[in-house]
Amino acid sequence: MVADALWGYLMQDMLSEYLPILIFLGIATGIAIAALVASYIVARQRPDPEKVSAYECGFDAFDDARGQFDVRFYLVAILFIIFDLEIAFLFPWAISLSEIGLFGFWSMMAFLGVLTIGFIYEWKKGALEWE
Amino acid sequence: MILQAISFYAFAAVTVAAAVMVISARNPVHSVLFLILAFFNAAGLFVLMGAEFIAMILVIVYVGAVAVLFLFVVMMLDINFVELRQGFLQYLPIGALVGLVLLAELVLILGSWAIAPDTASRAAAPTPAITETTNTHAIGQVLYTDYIYLFQAAGLILLIAMIGAIVLTLRSREGVKRQRISDQVGRTREESVEVRHVEPGSGV
Amino acid sequence: MIEIGLSHYLTVAAILFTLGVFGIFLNRKNVIIILMSVELILLAVNINLVAFSIHLNDLAGQVFALLILAIAAAEAAIGLAVIVVYFRNRGSIAVEDINLMKG
Repeated sequence: MVADALWGYLMQDMLSEYLPILIFLGIATGIAIAALVASYIVARQRPDPEKVSAYECGFDAFDDARGQFDVRFYLVAILFIIFDLEIAFLFPWAISLSEIGLFGFWSMMAFLGVLTIGFIYEWKKGALEWE
Repeated sequence: MILQAISFYAFAAVTVAAAVMVISARNPVHSVLFLILAFFNAAGLFVLMGAEFIAMILVIVYVGAVAVLFLFVVMMLDINFVELRQGFLQYLPIGALVGLVLLAELVLILGSWAIAPDTASRAAAPTPAITETTNTHAIGQVLYTDYIYLFQAAGLILLIAMIGAIVLTLRSREGVKRQRISDQVGRTREESVEVRHVEPGSGV
Repeated sequence: MIEIGLSHYLTVAAILFTLGVFGIFLNRKNVIIILMSVELILLAVNINLVAFSIHLNDLAGQVFALLILAIAAAEAAIGLAVIVVYFRNRGSIAVEDINLMKG
């Protein structure tokens, strides 16, 4: 129970470091909502069907905004995810390297080596080329 | 303590509400955006628990990469999503039934389980006190040495994902002109310029 | 109610898990939403793992949560790649069309 209380106290200590972020989040949300509401209240609202209709032979004002993407964007995004995760695994390694020793070092090198094989593969296949 | 409780309820409520919107939004683009909101608030829950590193990775990997990937696919495929929603209400009863049964089972488990008294002493990797190290540091001390097999397996899975994605989606196109810089630089005067003497008045 | 304990987080995780399963049933036709529901289920599992990890003072749970994050990203990448290829071949992503052994 004493350990629990101590843990709770330490948690408070850690969480209090996050208090500015929480306040920041609250203010950001407040400003966003205020901007939306204010623009709704202050602006003159005179809806008219002509306002949303296409001008002469132009585009519809409110249409499906989805334009088709090329599949190459998708491939780049996938490769980004993989290397993003690689970087995510590097963070704890970088700050605890002095304690995990050579074994930890080579453990990460093997991990990076495996991913480098994939990197060489995609380079050779031309997945990184923008034709 | 009261602030912690308020934050928990706010984050939990928004996470659950966003999850509801993910599965019920009409437009899949909205679904993806609500998925991002759900992950963001789940990251807030993780921070409240004290798992800072997982929370930040959730924001970096999920919000920054996976959700963007989903958004790419939704934008990339030209699909009539209204058509795909047909039968939404038809599956509602069976889905609700299965969901309720599952929730009831989970509630039963939640109400009746207990942690064995000696569990604390059998921790596989006891967390160091928060005064000694940070969360990220503590994870780094066990992830690469004690859990090396799992770590390497994760690397192999990422490799397979990379190769699989390339094999599945990459296709070489016909008739695409590429720039080959080595050929461009290696051009000589002899093979690219021809000098001809044209007699005056005779034309080429 | 003020003291936030393990059971609070487990409840949130249980609700999220149920919503994920419910989403799979509800959106039987749209594979993309089904994949998102799977992500929700994995998120619920992660909340469970981290909650127990903190409660039992055992880091193993957080290590596993990290690995599940990696798996989930790989799963999303491959799953979406399959969807893209399927759409390219068949011009639709409706689940009930996926019933042929050879596309």
